[in-house]
Amino acid sequence: MNRKRENIVGYAFISPALLTFLILVAFPFLFTIFLSFTEWNFLSGWSNIKFVGLENFYDMLADNRFISGVKNTFIYTLTIVPISIIVALILAYLLNDKVYCKKALRLCFFIPYISSSVALAAVFKLLFREDGVVNTLLINVFGMSEPILWFTDKHYAKIPIILFVIWVQIGFELIIYMAALQNVPKELYEASELDGVTPWKKFWKITFPLISPTTFYLVVVQLIAVFKIFNAIDIMCFGDSAHYNTSLVVEIYKSAFNNYKFGYASAEALVLMVFIVIITIINFVGQKKWVHY
Amino acid sequence: MKKQKLTSKLICTIVVSMFALLFAMPLLWMILTSFKSNSEVFSHNWIPTVWHPENYSTVWNDSTVPLWRVFFNSLTIVVIGTGGQLIVSSLAAYAFAKIKFKGRNLIFTFFLGSMMIPVQATIIPRFILFYEIGLYNNLWALILPSWFGITSIFLLRQFYMGLPNDLMDAARVDGAGHFRIFSQIMMPLTKPAMISTMILSFISLWNDYLSALIFLVNKKLYTVAQAVRYWLFDDAKPYHLTMATSTIFIVPVVVVFIFCQKYFVEGIATSGVKG
Repeated sequence: MNRKRENIVGYAFISPALLTFLILVAFPFLFTIFLSFTEWNFLSGWSNIKFVGLENFYDMLADNRFISGVKNTFIYTLTIVPISIIVALILAYLLNDKVYCKKALRLCFFIPYISSSVALAAVFKLLFREDGVVNTLLINVFGMSEPILWFTDKHYAKIPIILFVIWVQIGFELIIYMAALQNVPKELYEASELDGVTPWKKFWKITFPLISPTTFYLVVVQLIAVFKIFNAIDIMCFGDSAHYNTSLVVEIYKSAFNNYKFGYASAEALVLMVFIVIITIINFVGQKKWVHY
Repeated sequence: MKKQKLTSKLICTIVVSMFALLFAMPLLWMILTSFKSNSEVFSHNWIPTVWHPENYSTVWNDSTVPLWRVFFNSLTIVVIGTGGQLIVSSLAAYAFAKIKFKGRNLIFTFFLGSMMIPVQATIIPRFILFYEIGLYNNLWALILPSWFGITSIFLLRQFYMGLPNDLMDAARVDGAGHFRIFSQIMMPLTKPAMISTMILSFISLWNDYLSALIFLVNKKLYTVAQAVRYWLFDDAKPYHLTMATSTIFIVPVVVVFIFCQKYFVEGIATSGVKG
């Protein structure tokens, strides 16, 4: 085959992808790096870009809102990811051949994942209002005396958001776990049953190790997804978003599109990216070390 | 022994059902509230005392943000975005899997590396770019970026690599070029992978919020996410209408899902289960 022809045809095939990649990903990314060393209000025009070196990065260290954003983002990921994955695994285990009406039940857990997260967050915002369903339930059924101000009380402000993301994400984790469980060879279970192994032991000695690649995959994907948490907070805490519930991406959005500080917002976005790169590297190294195949 | 197994299955079903009910509760409340009057939204009864189905026609025909137009906008983005992504990704995936061209591995590595770049690290320059070339307040600002989908390129490439080369060689003897091999032989065989990527792209575009918030400020261009936001943050607090809007956007997707459950589940599972 003519080599030159292969080259031309090859580039013709990838050119649409390559062009969109260069114009809408690679170039903007490099420009973000450039902007992170500048101070620039977009509304003031191109001529006012001011180079400030590392100033944006120093400013971040003294910016309480930004630090709260990072701290909260860690709290969100470290609660949402483990809880949702454990619950999803238990549900997947039970839904796999241990219940009736498997498909209908699976649907209930899956609907939040495929629905518009903004539409769902609007529902949660109303449920957790001062006079909303959750408080009514806590007062009338569980005898609580005062309604909780879910979005403004320092101690509770993250709870509706954490519950919301778990509610939305479980469907995704469940589907992946159910597919993985189906791949565990049935003979292993049959053999263990002959040996009289308890169901508890069966789960920990056979099922859990065999689906560990899936668990690992889910942990990484969800860490990255929850790290970028934005929609839920923006909708639910609009108007009273405070230090208690803000996140890294919420702060980036506010710096860029509420205050038009494009330089500072770019620097914040790069910090987000560094975290994601670290998670990805851990993924690469960890996959070799901890996963049983 | 057998009886014991049946009882345990029954108990499991009851436990899981209760949990499922808990999951469905917020949606149930949403649907019931969408039929209430505004003054009744936070009353203790879940069932409306008087049913107001006209809430739906109110939001559907609203004078500033009519939902028929919102549907049209969102569908435009989803259809052109997903279609474009499918074509662009299929072409690239075929090239990466079946054509030996110079720099193939390098470009593919760059593409994969871009998985680590979050949208937030590209959206500011993209905003500037779209603003300068007049795509601000334009549906294309959401459509164009969706055409480059690294997950779909990766997924489809895996699929193309699994297709035997013999198929190609046979066609080549008959004088077919790459484009004919691609369009008439290979691409039709990747249907399952294409359906998977289509579903993933559909979900992400239908739910896209950040980009819509940034690029589509004109009320005429509002998408699903922004229409909900519009009602939720309206000064008159028309929460019954907000819930009607949410319901309108959730129910069709759920209905489509019930009919294509198999594809949805397979699509999401194939994207996820590795190794």
